[in-house]
Amino acid sequence: MTAYRIPATGDPGLQPERTSLAWVRTSLAIAVNALLALRAGFVAGEPALLAVGALLFAAAGAAVAVGAVRRRQLMGETLTITPPRGVLVGVAVTTLVASAVGVASILVEGGR
Amino acid sequence: MRGPAWQHEGDDPDYRFTLANERTFLAWIRTALALLAGGVLLHQFAATLEPRVVLVSVSVALGLIAALLSVVSYTRWRANEIAIRRRRPLPYSWVLPALAGACLLTAAVLTFLLLVS
Repeated sequence: MTAYRIPATGDPGLQPERTSLAWVRTSLAIAVNALLALRAGFVAGEPALLAVGALLFAAAGAAVAVGAVRRRQLMGETLTITPPRGVLVGVAVTTLVASAVGVASILVEGGR
Repeated sequence: MRGPAWQHEGDDPDYRFTLANERTFLAWIRTALALLAGGVLLHQFAATLEPRVVLVSVSVALGLIAALLSVVSYTRWRANEIAIRRRRPLPYSWVLPALAGACLLTAAVLTFLLLVS
């Protein structure tokens, strides 16, 4: 399958723009969680949390990059509607891993 | 470049619907990230709230809900995408009432802790 593309229609609902902005907001939310993981890692002296914080920062950067790609895909003469492959799964898995580590860090701290 | 099999079924949908579906997925992911941040923040900054075990339980519950939501957000995006391609009604989701209930419960427990501490 080639990606699903259509000519730009000048949608008055600005759906393409809203979609690329949604990516920007999501990358910010990932970055906030990266900061939280880094802070928790420094306070608790947990190298694993520091590593996860760094990984989450990388993920936030990747989400910014996807946002830029999506912006280009949705701003031109033709719109590429299909999201880049694997990107949605990647975001969901990143959130899942961050949640698991967050819970683990709370339990480790609570056990002391 | 071949996508998953379901992306070949049915018709290519109205682009507005599939873009809206992508935004909905991202909104759920942000909800999960916000709940996770809330749980971690609660655990790190609410040092004076007692009893500690309840506070840790609330934090852990928020993290678990975030983990659940990250999975649900993708499965729902996929189910919606398939429904749109096949021109079927969008699947009903129990996630909204469940999430509202979890938020209500969290708010009630935290308010109680703030009152008794």
